[in-house]
Amino acid sequence: MSKESDDRREVKVLTREKLDLRQLVKAPEVGPSVVGRSIVRTDAMLKVTGRLDFGADYLQDGFLHGKILRSSHPHALIKSINTKKAKELPGVAAVLTAESVPGRNGFGAIIPDQPVICGDKVRFVGDAVALVAAETEKIAHQALELIEVEYDPLPPVFDPREALKEDAPKIHEKGNLLSYNKLRKGDMEKGFAQADVILERTYQVPFLDHAYLEPDICMAIPKADGTMLVEGPMQAPFTVRRNVNAVLGVPINKVRVRQIPMGGGFGGKEDSPIDLGCRAAVLAYHTRRPVRIALEREEITLQTSKRHPMIMQIKIGAKKDGTLVAFEGVIYDEQGAYASMGPVIPPAGGSHIHAMVMMPGPYEIPNVKVDAYLCYTNHPYGGAMRGFGAPQVHVAHEQIMDELAEALNINPIDIRRKNGFREDSATATGQVLEQSVGLHDTLEVCTRAFDWDRRYQETGYVDEGKTKRRGIGIGLGWYRTSIGTNNDACGANVYVHEDGSVLLYTGITEMGQGSFTVLPQICAEELGVRMEDVRLVQPDTDVVPESGPTVGSRSTTLMGNAIILAARQVKESILEMASEMLMVPMDRLESRDRRIYDRDNSGKSLEFREVAARCMAKGKRLIGQGWWAPPPPTLDPETGQGNPYFVYTYSTHMAEVVVDMETGEVEVTDYVAAFDVGKAINPKAVEGQIEGGVAMGLGYALMEEVALEGGYIQNLNLKNYLIPTSLDVPDIEPIIVEVENRFGPYGAKGIGEMPNLPATPAILNAIANACGGRVRTLPADPERVFWAIKEAERAVR
Amino acid sequence: MERHRITLKINGESHLFEVESRETLLQVLRDRLDLTGAKEGCGRGECGACTVLINGRPINACLVLAVAVQDQDILTIEGLSDGDTLHPLQKSFVERGAIQCGFCTPGMILTAKGFLDKTPGPTEAEVRRNLVGNFCRCTGYTKIVEAILDTSEA
Repeated sequence: MSKESDDRREVKVLTREKLDLRQLVKAPEVGPSVVGRSIVRTDAMLKVTGRLDFGADYLQDGFLHGKILRSSHPHALIKSINTKKAKELPGVAAVLTAESVPGRNGFGAIIPDQPVICGDKVRFVGDAVALVAAETEKIAHQALELIEVEYDPLPPVFDPREALKEDAPKIHEKGNLLSYNKLRKGDMEKGFAQADVILERTYQVPFLDHAYLEPDICMAIPKADGTMLVEGPMQAPFTVRRNVNAVLGVPINKVRVRQIPMGGGFGGKEDSPIDLGCRAAVLAYHTRRPVRIALEREEITLQTSKRHPMIMQIKIGAKKDGTLVAFEGVIYDEQGAYASMGPVIPPAGGSHIHAMVMMPGPYEIPNVKVDAYLCYTNHPYGGAMRGFGAPQVHVAHEQIMDELAEALNINPIDIRRKNGFREDSATATGQVLEQSVGLHDTLEVCTRAFDWDRRYQETGYVDEGKTKRRGIGIGLGWYRTSIGTNNDACGANVYVHEDGSVLLYTGITEMGQGSFTVLPQICAEELGVRMEDVRLVQPDTDVVPESGPTVGSRSTTLMGNAIILAARQVKESILEMASEMLMVPMDRLESRDRRIYDRDNSGKSLEFREVAARCMAKGKRLIGQGWWAPPPPTLDPETGQGNPYFVYTYSTHMAEVVVDMETGEVEVTDYVAAFDVGKAINPKAVEGQIEGGVAMGLGYALMEEVALEGGYIQNLNLKNYLIPTSLDVPDIEPIIVEVENRFGPYGAKGIGEMPNLPATPAILNAIANACGGRVRTLPADPERVFWAIKEAERAVR
Repeated sequence: MERHRITLKINGESHLFEVESRETLLQVLRDRLDLTGAKEGCGRGECGACTVLINGRPINACLVLAVAVQDQDILTIEGLSDGDTLHPLQKSFVERGAIQCGFCTPGMILTAKGFLDKTPGPTEAEVRRNLVGNFCRCTGYTKIVEAILDTSEA
């Protein structure tokens, strides 16, 4: 840990033991007792012994098994469905078609445009045309085969630019353009007139699968009182409830949603539990029996959301010294068959608008114009995936920054030093970044830790046979905390018991990121008890206050603040009571490590629990409820000007790669990633997010792609949908930088969605640095790298 | 479907089953014995979440037929710790923060055990090579590799 201060701000740098940044050390660590410590995950013991029950581990006694018959065509009218034979199969409890849906036949996180069961037409091959529930999975499979569907195929649309054409087949009644958004700042003509260099480039990224290891599963259990209980791994229990209640046609309080342990989500388990929840609930409604739908790996790939593909065109202008003067961007953002999390939730929610406002990157540019089109196609649908529209545009802005640096003959870190956000910088949306802007701190720390200046001189062949060349690359990144809508509040309840133990109720879910450790840390710190005194209650919509979804890197910051507000209400009771008991004014009392102290007389103290017991006996408040919402977003829909989000996390990544010049194979050999997270509530958990995110960004750069042919996915399992293995990922060096966020709990801001964003372009830039060829269409697999090398060689000749 | 009476030696105890020829070891462990520590991530032997040790060797239980592993020593994650006392690998995974969602963890630990038992004091490169059949989507492997190297040094 080191500390650097100037008159305006304090910057702390946390590194792991093997990194020597001692020259930065100025002050010893002091501060809170529970927050800021790498406390072991609360679920570690259960996970390491295999005793934690995921959904598939739950007892199945009495459950029917639900299965989904999916479309055979990417775009077609349904002429007829015959379910007679399937219904007659022994062991089949229900075969349902569109007319069986009791309420609204549509679900969706934002717009309910996806049918629970398609009635008239299908829009992608993952669409459901019938649902089956049977005594065993095997019977359910057999029943699917007995359903006869006649289709009338329609011409499909597979490219967002084609979808925009006037004569394109209409996928939805309202047309194929789901959202059009624009950003306008300054004067483009004047801007480009000042430029000494103007570059125009197009970058393209494919559909990606989340490839969380735990397959999706959902259980719907009809209760005797008419309530429908829905259980499953999910990131957004309240969104699931909002959809299930509408689909069943019952009030919200007749649906109870419980989140159970989740084996990875990465945004994907925001959508799919809505889908499975509605479908399982409809089957349970008709059979009056518990129904479970467990997807197999191939079904997950077919049916669930993906990362949006984008075609991104950029024109950028800069002066000779690297100063950026103008940026013009166009995004063709492919939504696929259904709206999911793509469209705008005013003023700045939805992945599409997020991509638009992030597109110019973390740079001050006086003149900016972006046009962003979000189009339906007959492909799988794009939803939330770690970074939510931002990883795509990072691939574009970080690559063009390097291409610009090369054109101007400037070191890639210097062009970023010149233009990167600082405190009081104005973003492309005109937002003035008043506080917690640690971009340059991450850049400088990363430069030192990676030893960029030395390595920048040492590129070239690394083997005697002259087949492999080394290169280094940089990627900068920024990401919001919060979701940019006016509906972003978190609620928490804190309940202190007479023995001093605490129950913490929140609707934020655990998917591996560590919220079930970090949130109790904040609660314990604020109350002045120990970590082990707080038990977090599993999210259950009947029990916890509305918290919104676990997305947008919002949990620690927004929920952390709600917990602090809730804990303070209880602490006030405790301190008032302790003041009476000790006969010491309240403002002299402090709660710390299970005791209430008199600050002026440390001999005078009480145990937290005896005060809590007295409060209980006297009927003094021991339950607190806190709500917190971030400062409201103010983005203008016409100009794209205003504040879309209230605070950002900043980062610099540096990668070293070795490229085989004969085969195009790329090995990432070294990696440093520095993040300004405001305050690391649990540094080890933050490191875990960084390391995992870098691996995911590496997959995006080098290997991941949902391969589609005529609307059909070619790589349904992990055999050919490649994700990074232990051999693909290098030893990653995470560095935590803390530039306090004054709106965050203990200064914290978000990290979860951020760490993959700069990783992808850092690796792509390193490849270009190594081999001279640039890959602008992802992934940079050996074939694309090979052809990029050939193209670069031709250009030299 | 032909049925077979077989004996499986799991975590030191013998169990008698009547199984169908095509029943996998993973199905028997999970559905008959409620040993759900071995997870099914892909059902195709790609992800390694179902890894168990058979005679000390890491094997994807989703690919092995139960009838094929009669009378062999099968170790699952449930049999690794000694009551509440964790195996050094488990302890190291906990302390190093090598766990996130936890779905890959049991398989990852058993693969590491099978490997460390045969290769004490491995290099980082050897550890990485031996984990290649166990996917983790959360951690980026860094802390998992550290945890395994720590254990081998202890």
